[in-house]
Amino acid sequence: MVENRAAVVSLGRGFWTVTVVLGLLSIVGIYYWITAPMDRIMPVVGAQPGEQVDELLRFMAASGTALFIYVAGYIVYFCFAFRAKATDGPDAIGVQVHDNNVLEFWWTLIPTLFVVLLSILSVRIWYQIQVAQPANGLVVESLGHQWYFTFRYPQVNGEVTGEMHLPVNQPVVLNVTSSDVIHSFWVPAFRLKADMVPGLINTIRFTPTVIGRYPIICTEFCGTDHGIMNAQVPGENGKPNPGAEYVVVDSPADFQKWYHGWQVKNASASNALPSTSGTISLAGGDAAAGQALFAQKCSACHALGPFSQRIVGPGLKGVLHDPSHPNLVDGDPANPADAAKILQQGYTGDMGHMPDATQNGISDKDIANLVAYLASLK
Amino acid sequence: MSATAVHAGGIADHIHPEPQGFVRRYIFSIDHKIIGIQYLITGFVFLILAGMLAEVIRTQLLHANGGFVSPDVYNEVYSMHGSAMVWLVIIPLITGGFGNVIMPLQIGARDVAFPWLNMISFWIFPVAGLMLFSSFLIGAPVAGWTEYPPMSLQAGPGTSMWAAAIFLIGVSSTLTGINFVVTMFQMRAPGMTWTRMPLFCWAQLATAPLLMIATTALAAALAALFIERQFGVPFYDPTKGGSPVMWQHMFWFYSHPAVYIMVLPAFGMISEIIPTFARKPIFGYKLIAFSSMAIALAGFMVWAHHMFTSGLAPYLQLPFMIITFIIAIPTGVKIFSWTATLWGGKIHFTTSMLFAVGFVALFTLGGITGIFLAAVPFDLHVHGTYFVVAHFHYVLVGGSLMGVFAGTYFYFPKMSGRLMNETLGKWHFWLFFIGFNGTFLPQHWLGMLGMPRRVPEYDPQFQFWNDFSSISSYVMTFSILLFFINVLWSLRNGKKSGPNPWGGRTLDWQIPSPPHYYNFKNIPTVYGLPYDFGQPLPYKGLEEELTDSPVHVGAHY
Repeated sequence: MVENRAAVVSLGRGFWTVTVVLGLLSIVGIYYWITAPMDRIMPVVGAQPGEQVDELLRFMAASGTALFIYVAGYIVYFCFAFRAKATDGPDAIGVQVHDNNVLEFWWTLIPTLFVVLLSILSVRIWYQIQVAQPANGLVVESLGHQWYFTFRYPQVNGEVTGEMHLPVNQPVVLNVTSSDVIHSFWVPAFRLKADMVPGLINTIRFTPTVIGRYPIICTEFCGTDHGIMNAQVPGENGKPNPGAEYVVVDSPADFQKWYHGWQVKNASASNALPSTSGTISLAGGDAAAGQALFAQKCSACHALGPFSQRIVGPGLKGVLHDPSHPNLVDGDPANPADAAKILQQGYTGDMGHMPDATQNGISDKDIANLVAYLASLK
Repeated sequence: MSATAVHAGGIADHIHPEPQGFVRRYIFSIDHKIIGIQYLITGFVFLILAGMLAEVIRTQLLHANGGFVSPDVYNEVYSMHGSAMVWLVIIPLITGGFGNVIMPLQIGARDVAFPWLNMISFWIFPVAGLMLFSSFLIGAPVAGWTEYPPMSLQAGPGTSMWAAAIFLIGVSSTLTGINFVVTMFQMRAPGMTWTRMPLFCWAQLATAPLLMIATTALAAALAALFIERQFGVPFYDPTKGGSPVMWQHMFWFYSHPAVYIMVLPAFGMISEIIPTFARKPIFGYKLIAFSSMAIALAGFMVWAHHMFTSGLAPYLQLPFMIITFIIAIPTGVKIFSWTATLWGGKIHFTTSMLFAVGFVALFTLGGITGIFLAAVPFDLHVHGTYFVVAHFHYVLVGGSLMGVFAGTYFYFPKMSGRLMNETLGKWHFWLFFIGFNGTFLPQHWLGMLGMPRRVPEYDPQFQFWNDFSSISSYVMTFSILLFFINVLWSLRNGKKSGPNPWGGRTLDWQIPSPPHYYNFKNIPTVYGLPYDFGQPLPYKGLEEELTDSPVHVGAHY
């Protein structure tokens, strides 16, 4: 069997001319991606680290364009230069080259180096997004519903609807979850997205940098009206649709004004007392007995850590003394009576499902002991 | 029969007479060629159905406020479009279809290792396909082909039917995978060492373990979904202690390798077509074969790149991102090798070759946007948008489906003994190429600018490019209509092809078209590499193959 490995291969002038032309085209392409205004293909940036994401896109688009120009360019050139001509007989064959170790080495090495470079760049920006954001930002929560979003703020009772205001240039820690199916919280101008998964709290961190009004878009299919969880989709008869919601970045003064407005507006919600049926006497609750019972009945679903340390239900450390969670999960103020109510009646809602006292097999006395124990956690 | 004597498998000496009844011959056949053609016909029928669903989607999106169908119907339509295209069209066509028809011929075998199993694998497929489509009658699934719970737990009874149908398809795939692996390990003709095996077989060899291993994860996930929906055992429902994210892990543990199931065999066909029409050995045979295996292996380690927004621990994002980048290296090697194969060739631009070359260009673009998506910071922006839709259509339509068309034009003569019409074929190619790019190229910037996927209505500022996309999709659909007309017309009226119309050098081209019942009168012995044009054929024992049919070696198209 004849091997043609040693065949002398001459690439010819045409090849080098094409290579130079493709090189020039690639430079034009790279130059375009380095300098082009991004606003034709990406929304205007409204938060840090959106700029870095755009820089990464420029790098990937520039190198991708150069690669595509070379591959497509050579394909087109080879197709014209090496097409079989009418003068070639039916048995005419091409140059019998099997491989070329040097060439293959280089076209393996160059993509490898590119992958290393891309990994370094991506990890750096990933670090900006996932790790380096200040942790002590304003903590805001957003909850996905079929088919709208709601928001929660520290020291504001109940849920805020319609718009999520944020002060400009202050870091934000946004925790998201869902009350029903999976939604996804996306603000294109911030280049960030987090799935709202029931039973799970996902966090994104960013710093709004430009005052403005940015649509929120749901990007995970969530049922019939998924399409209208998007402020850019007009509702019927020119009215905004029920799922149209925005992130509004304000000056600090405007933010404070709006924030106080909601504190006042929702103040009455916080004052409503729990209406328990068959009130349990909490007098004489024994915290030590409650602690033993907690280990037995509760610890499978509740950690003794902060609220965010969730197993099935939230962590319960300081549950009745946590300023960032003035209400319990049922939306009523965190006091012993409300804790007893949840223990007695169970809970089904935004945060999941907790069985009631009958299902859990706990008596009224047990509830009193558990509440005494929970109140003792600080 | 000396060649037969050294053949390791028992089947070579164990030849049954060809069954004569119509049913045993064409319906419940155990002949790999008939089964392969059954796969192709069934897959193409489902392509028509799923393609019609695609046009419902594009027609709905002609207007920013939708209005062609209701949101609920729209959700069913795109869910079924995706499910059918993946499980009833691309995977069966490219593994069960072309794999069955061609692979045993190329390795010089008389059939696959387990012909009866092969028949069972096939017959599960149309049954499951009908089950899947019948879910329209009872409220089809709505949560996309990915069917994320809890949404898929809430949807109508069709979702259970969906889960059962896909489970059955998975059984069929797994059996085919086992069959192919055993066939290639045990039944290669004497002298066909691994490094003399045609690249299409290498591609099938890389695909088969994916079918066997990954599909089991999907089967488990589907069984759990079915049990939870029907019997209330909570696997995924978070209000009862289940985990919806567990479904995502199990689903993508299958569905990312499934992407390679759908494209590796197309790579294999391209690796046959390009050298044949360039009249050149494939450039870098070993590296192409090796890269298929590398892609298949790495394909198992990247599934969570579909889940960067799902709440993965941030540090876990890094290995998935970087391994995904690494897959670009073997993929790039293949693309460069195909391009280099064109250099210095005597290229014949048949329709098949046009599709193969178009495949390389479009798959390159789909691969590049795949790297974009693997980068976590950019993915957090475009995840769940039309950018993703554009990317995977470049890979699965610009890649896999173009590969199916290239393979059909290429192997149609082997299956039918007739050539397809080249004029119609070229119209098909150019209209498809233009229509395809017009449909999916604009979706890249639609996604980046803010258009989410799976929506029946959208921001009016995106109307122009959606209309552009929809109208282009009509052109693409029309071109596929031409393809089907061509197939039907050519079956009766196509020019007689003879055994080897393209001048191919692999074993499949050295026997009559269509091949006899047991393929080879004598099992040939292989002495050399499969793509050495201009050399004597590296096979012995083929002397009797063409004695009873006219010999046309070399091109006559």
